[in-house]
Amino acid sequence: MSANAKPVIFTKWAIAALLLLNACAPSRLVKPLKKGEQIVSGSFGGPLIKFSGAPIPLPFTTFSYAKGITDKISGFASLHSTSLLFGNLQTDLGICMDVYTKNKFGISITPAIQTALSFKSAQAIRLWPSLDANFRYEFTKGFLYAGTHSWFEFSKTRANDTKQERWLLPNYHIGFTKTNPKWNHQFEVKLLLPNTSIYPGVVDYMGINGKGAIGLYYCVTRKF
Amino acid sequence: MKKIVYIILSLLTFAACIKLDPLLYNKQALEEYGFEKYAGEQEVVLDNSYALPDSVIHLLKLNSQTSGEKTASEIYAVYLGQISRIATDTVIVYCHGTKWHMDFYYNRAKLLAHLGGKNNYGVLMMDYRGYGMSKGDPSEEGMYTDVDACLKWLKEKGLSANRTIFYGFSLGSAPATELTSKPRTLSPSKLILESPFASSDMMVADASQLNMPGIYFTELKIDNAEEIKNVQQPFMWIHGVKDDFLSVETHGQTIYNNYKGIYREAHRIEGAGHPNVPVVWGIDNYKKAVLNFIRK
Repeated sequence: MSANAKPVIFTKWAIAALLLLNACAPSRLVKPLKKGEQIVSGSFGGPLIKFSGAPIPLPFTTFSYAKGITDKISGFASLHSTSLLFGNLQTDLGICMDVYTKNKFGISITPAIQTALSFKSAQAIRLWPSLDANFRYEFTKGFLYAGTHSWFEFSKTRANDTKQERWLLPNYHIGFTKTNPKWNHQFEVKLLLPNTSIYPGVVDYMGINGKGAIGLYYCVTRKF
Repeated sequence: MKKIVYIILSLLTFAACIKLDPLLYNKQALEEYGFEKYAGEQEVVLDNSYALPDSVIHLLKLNSQTSGEKTASEIYAVYLGQISRIATDTVIVYCHGTKWHMDFYYNRAKLLAHLGGKNNYGVLMMDYRGYGMSKGDPSEEGMYTDVDACLKWLKEKGLSANRTIFYGFSLGSAPATELTSKPRTLSPSKLILESPFASSDMMVADASQLNMPGIYFTELKIDNAEEIKNVQQPFMWIHGVKDDFLSVETHGQTIYNNYKGIYREAHRIEGAGHPNVPVVWGIDNYKKAVLNFIRK
């Protein structure tokens, strides 16, 4: 396999592996909904790669539903539609809760369970806990936010019974949500796995100093 | 809300329609082979002292048919050496990597032909279906069957198992290991793997950093790390320490650790990446090490 062969193969495998992960969607909920409020949303975007010399985000899509349980806690469920195209059912299920609010500031956390299973094998079921922590600042017609999104891997082993070295996969993001009476528009930039080497010179991910990848996302939300 | 449900149901309809399997094969079609005249890119560049006369370069056209196929695929291979000496010589079966075609790997095959002297060993290299001039579409089973078709040809020419050496580079480690672990026509006397990959599961685990099953993205069953457990023949492993595609630790070392046969040797080449082990190691060092292993 030559150096030229590597981008072709590795990019596609790595993209595939990443797309099932935290790279495929923006933050679910940053601010809890009001009690009884419901939303559905669709997101589009992913890690930036160079395609024919130009940076483009990988077009991953997800769909979500959320409902306000109380004014400070909302529940949500999401379906990762791009994963579905690969024959995998990937969902995430979690809650978003405000842990601190004062004036225009707020801090929320979002624990969730990421679930993936393959339609091709009953054994290929995986669960990963994840945790978001977000700080937000509200404006009249929207809010700015920044935070972390981390996955946890508690398996001791992985492929071929080798040792699973990492248990924490952190990501960082900053975003803006434009709020309207019926529709919200969310824009987010992620720094994905910033402490992970993305094979510099091999994959055309756009990261920082050869590590991680930058992701761009857009999410549209309809409120009910 | 209904629209969202319809969209989701539509996606479910198309679920599993994408596989990454074909992307593993970085093939390129050829109208004819150049071999000595090939002027395109090659990773190993050799001087004129390695040139072979046309009389020992034999282009072969073979039929290869998997058990599930109705018709055979026409595949191409090249034999470097005197065909009349196959009945008495040691032959190295070289399974090339994923890139392009045999011309790209021709110099690597020639290096093996020159171990221990000019054109000292017979070498057979093949283009898997879909590669070079070989017809058909690549597949895992097709690749194994294509290599076995070459082994049938060699056996017909008088080659015996005790004079057969398998050498698999990168993607070629899959047929080399599979056909050593589960022999079909000929079981080799020794196995050499350069920059091998452990399994498709390991590819996905390395890329995702998680304990993620390979089946999420591929139906490939390639599992050299498991197959090597059945190999009893002497085994040589060569890997670049700086391999940024197939990690020396997660891929190569896993295979090496799982080997339970009678003899093994490892060559972790400092400074070498995935495609350039012979060059970084030094052509003479590489030839000497491989020759020593074959003659052990």
